[in-house]
Amino acid sequence: MIDMIEKEEPIISEEEAAQYDRQIRLWGLDAQKRLRGSRVLLVGLGGLGAEVAKNLILAGVKGLTLLDHEQVTEESCRAQFLVPVTARGQNRAQASLERAQYLNPMVEVRAYPDRPEDKPDDFFLQFDAVCLTGCSRDLMVRVDQLCSQRNIKVFCGDVYGYYGYMFSDLGKEHHYALRIFCSLKEALEVDWTSEKAKASLKRTPVDYFLLHVLLKFRTDKGRDPDPQSFAEDSQLLRQIRDDVLESLAVSGDLLSDDFVSYCFSEMSPVCAVVGGVLGQEVVKALSQRDAPHRNFFFFDGRKGNGVVDYFGPN
Amino acid sequence: MVQLVGSLRKELADSLSSCRVLVVGAGGIGCELLKNLVLTGFKNIEVIDLDTIDVSNLNRQFLFQKKHVGKSKAQVAKESALQFCPTANITAYHDSIMNPDYNVEFFRNFMLVMNALDNRAARNHVNRMCLAADIPLIESGTAGYLGQVTVIKKGLTECYECQPKPSQKTFPGCTIRNTPSEPIHCIVWAKYLFNQLFGEEDADQEVSPDTADPEAAWNPEEAAARATASEKDGDIKRVSTKEWARSTGYDSIKLFNKVATRQIHQLFKDDIMYLLTMDKLWKKRKAPLPLDWQQLENHGSGLKDQQVLGIWGYCKLFQHSVETLRSQLEQKGDGAELVWDKDDPPAMDFVTAAANLRMHIFSMNMKSRFDIKSMAGNIIPAIATTNAVIAGLIVLEGLKILSGELESCRSIFLNKCPNLRKKLLVPCVLDPPSANCYVCASKPEVTVKLNVHKSMVVFLQDKILKERFGMVAPDVQIEDGKGTILISSEEGETEANNSKFLSDFGIRNGSRLQADDFLQDYTLLINVLHTEDLEKDVEFEVVGDAPDKAPPPPSNQEETNSITNGNKDSAQPSTSSKGLTCSHSAVMLAQP
Repeated sequence: MIDMIEKEEPIISEEEAAQYDRQIRLWGLDAQKRLRGSRVLLVGLGGLGAEVAKNLILAGVKGLTLLDHEQVTEESCRAQFLVPVTARGQNRAQASLERAQYLNPMVEVRAYPDRPEDKPDDFFLQFDAVCLTGCSRDLMVRVDQLCSQRNIKVFCGDVYGYYGYMFSDLGKEHHYALRIFCSLKEALEVDWTSEKAKASLKRTPVDYFLLHVLLKFRTDKGRDPDPQSFAEDSQLLRQIRDDVLESLAVSGDLLSDDFVSYCFSEMSPVCAVVGGVLGQEVVKALSQRDAPHRNFFFFDGRKGNGVVDYFGPN
Repeated sequence: MVQLVGSLRKELADSLSSCRVLVVGAGGIGCELLKNLVLTGFKNIEVIDLDTIDVSNLNRQFLFQKKHVGKSKAQVAKESALQFCPTANITAYHDSIMNPDYNVEFFRNFMLVMNALDNRAARNHVNRMCLAADIPLIESGTAGYLGQVTVIKKGLTECYECQPKPSQKTFPGCTIRNTPSEPIHCIVWAKYLFNQLFGEEDADQEVSPDTADPEAAWNPEEAAARATASEKDGDIKRVSTKEWARSTGYDSIKLFNKVATRQIHQLFKDDIMYLLTMDKLWKKRKAPLPLDWQQLENHGSGLKDQQVLGIWGYCKLFQHSVETLRSQLEQKGDGAELVWDKDDPPAMDFVTAAANLRMHIFSMNMKSRFDIKSMAGNIIPAIATTNAVIAGLIVLEGLKILSGELESCRSIFLNKCPNLRKKLLVPCVLDPPSANCYVCASKPEVTVKLNVHKSMVVFLQDKILKERFGMVAPDVQIEDGKGTILISSEEGETEANNSKFLSDFGIRNGSRLQADDFLQDYTLLINVLHTEDLEKDVEFEVVGDAPDKAPPPPSNQEETNSITNGNKDSAQPSTSSKGLTCSHSAVMLAQP
């Protein structure tokens, strides 16, 4: 009944119809077919990456490519559920491949052990959507610039302890009318000195500034805050907080010291929340259905707050 | 100096590894929850689920693969979780949480109970068990893109039953039998028909024209006269295989053909013609058009619609499914019954065909099998991401509880779109217990309106105490100074009372009954308000309940959050407003 053979449109088989029944009843057959024809790149297989991988594979995309240069450590085994406990020392993407594939044999899952920085431009251009986790600010800005020009949907996300965020750039011509997106670069480089920006500070989630602090930490130290060096990293975080707020010309009071002890390591339930929202945004964008969140989602796991807000020019 | 183990303070991490927690349900929310618990560092987890794995679960219940279809959810969930955390100590129960083995003592073993259920009866039961054991309970639910989490702690917060929940939506008998106006009425009729022919007979599920329909009468006396006249059973006769063989003497194919054809005539022609004689019903409505099998047959099967078959196609489908179901019944032997199951193809074909034939007769556009299955099967669409978010929130609330920070616990609602304050996830402060909650108040009491001369003891037990008040094994005493026992939960003890009327025991207006469920440690005092004056098709009323009315449609902006009770309960979502702090409304129901 569901077999509708159209030129160049993927066919949904009986098997897929049975497995995807409960989601087809939600977003419809056309949306499922669009998913079925989409290829996605996922960078980073930490806690958040694993959640996004699971969500996209279950949703039934055509292909998911996993890219991660990191090795499996003892901590990785606690952080995510795709890596077997025996895989210590292996590449994280490759170690996650088997379990990821088991989630849904109908999706083509591939894994590469390379650094995303070393990949040429056209590597990224073969996908319909790109999802970056655990990446440096520079890499994210570069990939976003490269991809959104070509109408490739770009998503970024990270989890730091109890906090997490998601960013999306669906380009200027996203099908869901009237929704304008800006680049990550523009989103991060909002000018807070203007009168208008200052006035809006009251309604601005402080998570935005927290994100700046954590991205700077990652750039400076080449890693995220580590529980093993709690004392040292806490101090550095406070220092970076001071520097960042000053350089953005906003008040030092915006971000109290409180956050410092709650942003270490990727917390599994926070990865689940952020990964769920991020995964669903990717699904929406690929299936061209339902209004996308514009352009950030911030989650505060201590308060249970999840807000969507737009940062960009004007 | 703060010491961290991963993201967590050391004291918290330590208590996670020693405490025991219970997860009730291993489906959509349950799989996600089990994964989160294990990765967060919980070491002692017990999980219970009575269900087995179905292929339609695989789009979200990620601990299961195709090869596991048919196996126990709890068992496979445990095995899969151990794969990525072999040091976790997980106990799986393939069982119902309502089994008396899981008594208050059992619940007291745990520091925390987390529900991942899809039906209200189980939620009510766990609510009471956690109140009795005084263990914190985290409730949750999802439906489509929406979800909700909340915390229940005796004496501190509302319990699950503090706020009245809308009861399962039912339609008046005459709408189903005489004047359907929507596809759902025809679908309900088709399911009733299934039971009349193949399943357990139920006096509440009649399909023949309702001659006592008050709307059909030109004057009240006429209606009353018809009502008494129709005391005799005018309903479709359940023809047993034996009766068939006896009455026709034909060979099987002709036999089935004949009976199916005869039934089509009866149901879709004769009964419709009877309805037409009740002319007052059709003064303001479009009259139904009886089907003429002969005419349809002569026109042949030229009707081919890709998604919706033509009328002739549904006639054939009806006939064919009746034949298949008949032989299923025959194979089961004497006195056998079939239970309708949306995943059983001939049962689903039967309802699709019968509902569509009826829709056609009553001038409604016919529907595809896919759509009918949704409505008939109360299917709630479900995806992985919503469940993932909710399960994450459950663990975060759990951590607050284990840190002794109950005052920081919240109800959190997941919306589809951000609200006016940009919130996609809306945390709300928990409400205190309701003073006159019929479950968690110190001496719960209700008033029930019914007719003592017409209500049987078994009706009190099944429809009122079990269905409406969520008891599993009720014991009832009359407060008559003698402590007369009306109902005993011990099997067989009060069976003789079942078909007696309440008035037979001296119960009348103002009488008080004490109902207990010992497993739930729950006592409810019932004040009886006798009345002869209930609405048609209403057999009792709980005084103080808001009248059942159709819920307002949700607004486009999704200001309101409507979450359903799961496929085992109401077919329709419902809304109720919840106060000023949160711009959404939610009624805790839901399906993982």
